[in-house]
Amino acid sequence: MRRRGRFAATLAVFALVLAACGSDEPGDDTGGTTGEPAPATDATIIHGTTDSIVSLDPAGQYDFGSNQISQQVYSTLLEVPAGGTDPEPALATSCESEDSTVYTCTLQEGLTFSDGSALTSEDVAFSFQRNIEIDDPQGACSLLASLATCGKWKEGAIETPDDTTVVFNLQAPNAVWPAVLTTSAAFIVPSDSYPADSLQPDDQVIGSGRYTLAEYRPGEQVVLEANPSFYGDPPLNARVFVQYFKQSSALKLALEQGEIDIGWRTFTPTDVSSLEGAEGLNVLEGPGGEIRYFAFNLSLPPGDELAVRQAAAMLVDRQAIVDNVYEGTVEPLYSMLPAGFGGHTEAFAERYGEGPDPDGAAQVLEDADVQTPVELELWYTPTHYGDASADEYAEIERQLEADGLFDVTLESTEWDQYTEDAFTDGYPAYQLGWFPDYVDGDNYISSFYSSASFLNLHYANDRVDELIGVEQASTDDAEREAAFEEIQEITAEEAPIIPIWQGTQLAIVRDGVTGVEETLDPTYIFRYWLIGKSE
Amino acid sequence: MAGRSHSLRRYLFTRIALAIPMLLILLTLVFLLMRVAPGDPISAALGGRLPQAELDRRRAEAGYDQPLIQQYLEYLGDVATFDFGTTIVDNRAVTDVIVQNGAATLELTLAAMVIAMVTGLTIGALSGRFRDTSIDVGGRLFGIVIYAAPVFYLGFLAQLVFGKWLGWLPTSGRASPVVTFELETKTNLFLVDAAITGNGEAFVDVLEHLVMPATVLGLVIGGVFIRLVRVNLIQTLKGDYVEAARARGVTERNVVMRHAFKNALVPVVTVVGLQFALLLSGAVLTEQTFNWPGIGSELVRYLDNRDYIAVQGIITFAGLVVVFVSLLIDVVNAWIDPRVRF
Repeated sequence: MRRRGRFAATLAVFALVLAACGSDEPGDDTGGTTGEPAPATDATIIHGTTDSIVSLDPAGQYDFGSNQISQQVYSTLLEVPAGGTDPEPALATSCESEDSTVYTCTLQEGLTFSDGSALTSEDVAFSFQRNIEIDDPQGACSLLASLATCGKWKEGAIETPDDTTVVFNLQAPNAVWPAVLTTSAAFIVPSDSYPADSLQPDDQVIGSGRYTLAEYRPGEQVVLEANPSFYGDPPLNARVFVQYFKQSSALKLALEQGEIDIGWRTFTPTDVSSLEGAEGLNVLEGPGGEIRYFAFNLSLPPGDELAVRQAAAMLVDRQAIVDNVYEGTVEPLYSMLPAGFGGHTEAFAERYGEGPDPDGAAQVLEDADVQTPVELELWYTPTHYGDASADEYAEIERQLEADGLFDVTLESTEWDQYTEDAFTDGYPAYQLGWFPDYVDGDNYISSFYSSASFLNLHYANDRVDELIGVEQASTDDAEREAAFEEIQEITAEEAPIIPIWQGTQLAIVRDGVTGVEETLDPTYIFRYWLIGKSE
Repeated sequence: MAGRSHSLRRYLFTRIALAIPMLLILLTLVFLLMRVAPGDPISAALGGRLPQAELDRRRAEAGYDQPLIQQYLEYLGDVATFDFGTTIVDNRAVTDVIVQNGAATLELTLAAMVIAMVTGLTIGALSGRFRDTSIDVGGRLFGIVIYAAPVFYLGFLAQLVFGKWLGWLPTSGRASPVVTFELETKTNLFLVDAAITGNGEAFVDVLEHLVMPATVLGLVIGGVFIRLVRVNLIQTLKGDYVEAARARGVTERNVVMRHAFKNALVPVVTVVGLQFALLLSGAVLTEQTFNWPGIGSELVRYLDNRDYIAVQGIITFAGLVVVFVSLLIDVVNAWIDPRVRF
């Protein structure tokens, strides 16, 4: 889905100190900002994708395709390295806080944008302020809610005492603010080239990332070239072509024909199966934080009945969906917090069992005097989450109806209409998916179970809200994991949302392409700069 | 001679005068149809994502809070200045979409029409000339089958055979990534750009990418022409003047090619022109199958995203093209067939 993580500010009392890891100053190994390191190789990489771009201005994007290109062109104060989960220094050498409310970030000396202009603390303040003030409906200013409310900049929210110091004065303590500083909402743009109150044209983007945008042909091609003034290690290639495909079948053919080097996002399960073992191609798999689920609107029947939600949770056979629809390319998901994140439990499996339990479901409905079959209008969107959605929901319909306990009416509509209706009490139950905004369990918990969740399910549990406050404020892993575990237990019992599956990342590359496995991690950042070609 | 040119000029003026109300009706219909849809373009695209106050502000900024007649007049004014607005989904000027993606569609359409004409005229003429022979049966069968086959199905078969199995041709896009980037574009018609910049390598690359989609699309359209040319040629061959030519001892080859065939083409011109106009509006299925970045596939994307400003702009443009091409067809018809003018 279009990511809409609401980042609620909460209480915190810990000091957070992010020090440089590995080296004292990032970029030391490349001569810092004084030299102009040439690309390590002159390789050209061609990447094919079915994603699309909404905007290349950080203030106007909150979608996967736009973020993918922006990650290459812009820089953030902090970033998550490949395979890592914790933010590390990038433009900033450090971001420190003693109370999780005031964060002081120190920029590297001598930073420049790709157009040669200096990157200073003024640019940082400008970037955050314009993102909040523009408040673009396609944008991600909601991620910056700890700083100011979207559309209403708060004077003093950011201070810039000198060219290299940025002070963030949050509205409330927030221990995961450093993680927010790694997101698309925190890309830094030049204040002298970008308008303060409107979006920059897509073909005129300027950043300080590893690449510059050499060409953008909407819906067709993006060309990135190594940025010679980048502050850190140069990319392992000189140029990257990103080719956009409307259908996965065309992407697959292009890969088979050798027209592209890498296919990443999105293949159908059938495509993946047929490409496994193909000559000259390698299917690479990496951990992913992508999840799918369906949610009940608790203000509408039949999801307003706890027994109905619990019965549905008992009847869904996740393994059958994984096997029959996705041909084993995804994993069953028994919690909204996916496996691999601290505090993850198999809450739904523990509460309802792994397999379908029609007897248990019938009993729950009978105990609650719910008349069967329960009529359920279940919505999904046919293309936004890939072509397999129709099959997935046909399978769920079959499972729910198999024992006569439910009478499901499947409905579908395209994404824009879908989001409008789903979040405004239009659908009793509906499909959604999620990619992480940042690699932290909070992004999977507060986004869905907070009483202020964007889902607008009318689900509210005071204890859950309290625990979310605890995990957001704490920097103690044990304390946070305990909070996550309790939240999962409560929400599995109340079942406002039924988790279905967790995706792994799949990239298909031609022989000789290196470095792709390294970048397949739960951040979903496809780091072109790590990709090379062997001779 | 003077009378002939006078009548042609008069016909031309009449036809242009008739095109103006046609254009107005078309623009009015487009305007009204887009307003019949619930809400306005801003609400349709952004409703549910913005607070009501912000939606109202943007609606006012775009003029959707104005009386309908005022919006209509502004719309006409914008169309007159080729200002079709800016897309909501990705902030592109609609004119940029028309220029860039329209050029891709134009290139595909022109190539497809060449193939359709060659196929349709050749097979149609042979079928008509050798009526009820095995050539005729074969030609008619080919025409029916190729016309009945869905273009995406033919496209997929071609991709499998000539792309995947034989490896002769690329299966998607207008050119290879490097050529797309490095080709100096003056007209946005890649083949023309490669030719005028003397870039032989790019020319071959673009041609290789164009062959498969153009052939598939051209063959499907050619199916219509085959039947049309055949029927018209048969009718023409029954004409008195053809009999007279034969009686004068004109060879059968000359009877067919110099007398019958040319006259048989008159109704074909109309169909060719209309087909061309329709294709310019977007060969959606072909573009989708071959990942061709044309205006049709963009229209589908904007429709999916309920970007009514983009949709209105593209449909208006498509309507203008159809009106213009219709006018052109009438003029050409009047020029080659004087009876049309009276």
